[in-house]
Amino acid sequence: MGLRDLSIAVEEGTIFGLAGPNGSGKTTTLKLLLGLIYPTAGEGTVFGLPLGNPEYKRRIGFLPEGPYFYDHLNAVELLRFYGGLFGMAGKALNDRAEELLHMVGMWDRREIRVRDYSRGMLQRIGLAQALVNDPDLVFLDEPTAGLDPPAQIEMRALMQSLRAQGKTVFLCSHLLKEMEPLCDSVAILAQGIVRRMGSVGDLLAGESGRFQLQATGCQNISLQNLRDRALDLKVQGEELVLLFADQRSALAAAGEIAEGGGSIIELGAQTRSLEDVFIEAVAAGGTD
Amino acid sequence: MHAIIRVAAATFHEAWRKRFLNVILIFAVLIIAFSWSLAYLQPGAELKLLIDIGLGTIRFFGMLIAIFLGVRLISDEIDKRTIHTILTKPVTRAQFLLGKFFGSLATVFCNLALMGIAFYVVFLIKAPGFLSSMSSSEATGPGFSTDFIYANIAKAIFLTFVEMTVVTALAVMASTLFSWIMAATFSFFIYFVGQMADFFKTLASPARGTGFTGQIVFNTIYGILPHFEVFDMREAILKGTYVGWDVLSKHLGLGLIYATVIMLISFLAFMNREV
Amino acid sequence: MKRQRGVQVIGWVLVVALIAGLQPLNNSVEYDRIVLGMKTPTPLTRMVDFDPTAITGVIMGAALGGFQGIAASMMWMKMEELWDSGHGTWLACLNVMRTVTLLDPHWLEPWKILGWHLAYNLYVETKDPALQAEYLRKGLDALKEGVSWNPNTYELYFELAWTYFDKVRDYEEATKWFAAAIQFPHPEFIERMIAHSYERMPDLDRALDWYDYCLKRNPNDRTARGAITTIRLRYLPAWRLMEEGKYDEAIKRIDQYLEVEPNSLIALHVKAHIYEEAGKDREAFDTWRLAARLSAMDHQARRKTNALAAKLGIQLTPQEQAPSYLLQQEGQRLQVPAHGR
Repeated sequence: MGLRDLSIAVEEGTIFGLAGPNGSGKTTTLKLLLGLIYPTAGEGTVFGLPLGNPEYKRRIGFLPEGPYFYDHLNAVELLRFYGGLFGMAGKALNDRAEELLHMVGMWDRREIRVRDYSRGMLQRIGLAQALVNDPDLVFLDEPTAGLDPPAQIEMRALMQSLRAQGKTVFLCSHLLKEMEPLCDSVAILAQGIVRRMGSVGDLLAGESGRFQLQATGCQNISLQNLRDRALDLKVQGEELVLLFADQRSALAAAGEIAEGGGSIIELGAQTRSLEDVFIEAVAAGGTD
Repeated sequence: MHAIIRVAAATFHEAWRKRFLNVILIFAVLIIAFSWSLAYLQPGAELKLLIDIGLGTIRFFGMLIAIFLGVRLISDEIDKRTIHTILTKPVTRAQFLLGKFFGSLATVFCNLALMGIAFYVVFLIKAPGFLSSMSSSEATGPGFSTDFIYANIAKAIFLTFVEMTVVTALAVMASTLFSWIMAATFSFFIYFVGQMADFFKTLASPARGTGFTGQIVFNTIYGILPHFEVFDMREAILKGTYVGWDVLSKHLGLGLIYATVIMLISFLAFMNREV
Repeated sequence: MKRQRGVQVIGWVLVVALIAGLQPLNNSVEYDRIVLGMKTPTPLTRMVDFDPTAITGVIMGAALGGFQGIAASMMWMKMEELWDSGHGTWLACLNVMRTVTLLDPHWLEPWKILGWHLAYNLYVETKDPALQAEYLRKGLDALKEGVSWNPNTYELYFELAWTYFDKVRDYEEATKWFAAAIQFPHPEFIERMIAHSYERMPDLDRALDWYDYCLKRNPNDRTARGAITTIRLRYLPAWRLMEEGKYDEAIKRIDQYLEVEPNSLIALHVKAHIYEEAGKDREAFDTWRLAARLSAMDHQARRKTNALAAKLGIQLTPQEQAPSYLLQQEGQRLQVPAHGR
C-alpha cells in the first residue's frame, strides 16, 4: 500500500492509535517507522533520528501482529536472545526476563517451547520481548487479536500501565471500540492518507451539539412538520428517531409529539463513537 | 559485534535441530566409516578408492549441508516473519546477515570436522595396509611415505573447509535473492558450473577457433565463477605431490575473497529488500 | 534514500574491483596447481568438442563433484560385467570406458584398456579396412589424450609406443614414444624396445647403441647380447658396405644371408634400405613388396611399397594398397600433445 503525504506526530507519554481498514497502509506505516522498509520519498524521524537508524531502536519495542519467533526456544531462552541483541547479559538479563515473565503471566510456563504455544501465549511472550529493553516507545500491532476476553482486558490494562510509567504506546488496530477508551489521540488512515487526526475528545466532539429524539405512538402527528424541523427522520417500526441541530428545535418537536398523544422514549445529546468518525472519514475519502 | 554473535549463536543452535541435517551427517559418517570395505572392490587401487570415497563424501555432503542450510537462512526468516522482531532491535541488516552467515558457517565447519575426523581415523587404521599392497609403479611418487600422505589428507580437508566457506556464502546470497527452492537450484547450479570453470577457459581459447565475442563471454564467465575445483586436492594426494602451506594460503586467500565478494553482493541485495 | 543509493553504487564498484583484483590470485593458484602437479590442465583435445558422450561425461563429472572418482570406479565395474557378457556388448563397453576416462582422467587403467580395445579388439572385429583404420586411429588418439592427462608417468607413453610398434609397425613413431616413456621412472625393458624399433626400421647404428646401453646397464641382459650378436653377424657387414657407398657389394652380402633365411623381414628391410640409399627405387620397391607379401602384418613394408609405387607410377593390386591410416605423411603425424597452456 502506498502512502501519500503521511505526517504523524506522536506525543510522548500517551497512547496513540493508528486506525484504518485493511489495506489502508497501517502496516506500511509501521514498517516504515520500524525501519523494515524505506520511504521512496520524504523522510521521518523517531526520537529525532532518521528512519531505520539502529540507534533509536535501542529505545523502542515492537510486538508484531501474530508474532513469530524461533520456535525451538522456550520463554526464557527467547527473552535472553532478544535481550542479547541489546547487549544485555548475565544477571541483569536473567532478572529482566524473570520480571517480564511474571508481568505477562508466563513465569509458570517458561519451560514450554514456542512451537507448543497457544495464540495467547505467543501474544504474551511477544509483549515481553517488546519490553525487554525497557523501551520508551512501544509499537503494538493488533495486540488483542486472537485473545480471549479476559486476556484482552489484561492486555489493555498493561498498555495503560505502560502509559502510567511514562512510556509512549503506538497502537495499530482496526478495533475502534478498543481504541476509544484507551487512546489519547488517534489517526485514521484510509487509502494511504491520514483522514482524521487528533485527540479522541476532539474527534468525537467534532460535530457535537446535535440532539436525538426517540418517540413512539405518533400515529396522529404530521410527520411532515417534524421532518421540517429535523435534520433526519427515521421510522423504525412503531418508533420514530429524529435528529436535530440544536436543543431548542428538539424540545419543540418533543412538545409537539407530547401534545399529539405520542410518548417520548428518550431525548438527549447525540453520542458519537470513533466508529462513526471512522466511517465518515473513510466515506469522505472516497469522494476525494 | 554482540548482535552478530547473538544471531550467529541462535542460527547455530537452530541448525542442529534440523533433522535432515543430522540425517545427512550420520549418513556421511557411516559411508566414511565403511569406505574401507568398498575399497576391496578395486584390487590394486584400494588406497585410491579409500581416498576417493573419504574426501568425496566430505566434499559432497559438506556441500549438501552448506547449501541446504544456507538457502533457507534469510528467506525463512522473511517468510516466517521472525526477522521483524530482530531487525526492530538495534541490529543492522549487515549485522543480521553476517550473524546468519557465521552461524551457518560454524555449523558447516562442525559437520566437516566430524566427517574429517571419521575419515582420518579410518585412514590411519587402513592406509598402511593398502599402501604396502600398492603396485610399485603406482607408488613411485615421492609422496607415498605414510607421514607424507597423512599430511596431505589433512591439507585436503583444510581446503574443503575453505571451499565450503564459499559455498555457504553462495547459499546465503541465494537466500537473500530467492525463495528456498529457487535458491537451492541456483546454488547447485553455480557450484557445478564452478567445478567446470576450466571448461570455459578451454572454450574461450582462440586455438579452438572461438571468435572475439565468444572469447570475451567465456573469459568473463571464467573470471566471475568461483573456481571450486581448485579446492580439490585429490589428484595431488594420489600422485604423492607435496603441497606447501604457502600454496594453501593462496587458496585460503582466494576462498576468503570469494566469500567476501559474495557476502557483499548478498548485503547489497538485502539492504533494500522489503522484509 | 540518497545515502542508500550511494552505498549501492560504492558496493557494486567494490564487487567489480574485488573480482578484477581476484584474477591475478586466481591465475597464480591455477599456475601453482599445474606447476606443482596438484592438477593436470584440461587438454585441448576432442573432449571439448561437442561429442555427446564427452559432454555428458563433463556434466556428470561436475554434478558429482567430489564423487567423480567413485563413480568412475563403479562404472568400471559395470564395464567389466558388460565385457564378460560377450562380444555383442563391445561397443557398449567402449562408451562406458570413454565415460570413465572423462570422469577420472588420471586413472591409467581405463586409458590403457580403451586404447587396446579400439586398436586390437574392435580392429579385428571388422573386415572393412576403412573401419579398421578408424578404430586404429581412435585407439591411438585415446592413448594420446590419456598421455596429455598423465604426462608424468611412463605408462601411457609406453602403451602408445607399443601400439605403434606392434600394431601399426610405424617404428619411427614407436621410437619417439618409447623415448618419451623413459623420461620417467620405468621398467628396464623399454630401452630394449627402442633398440628393437631401430633394428626393424632399420637404423642399425642406433639399434646397436641402444643394445649396448642395455648391456652396460645390465651385463646379464641376454636379449641385448643375443641381438647384438645377430646384428653384427647377419646385417652389419652389408650395412657398413652401404655406408662406404659400396652398394653392389652390400647387396651381395645381405643376399648371402637371405639365401639361408629367405623370409627374414629384417634382412629384407635392410636390403630395401640399401637400394633406397643407392637410389635404385625400382629394386627397393620390389624388395619392400616382397616383404609385404611375406607378412600381411608388415605395415611398414606396405607403406613403403605404396609410396614407391606412387613415385614410380606402378599400379598396385587392391590387396597391396595400404589402408589410408598407413599412408599418413610425416606432417600429419601428431606430435607429443602439448599439454598445458
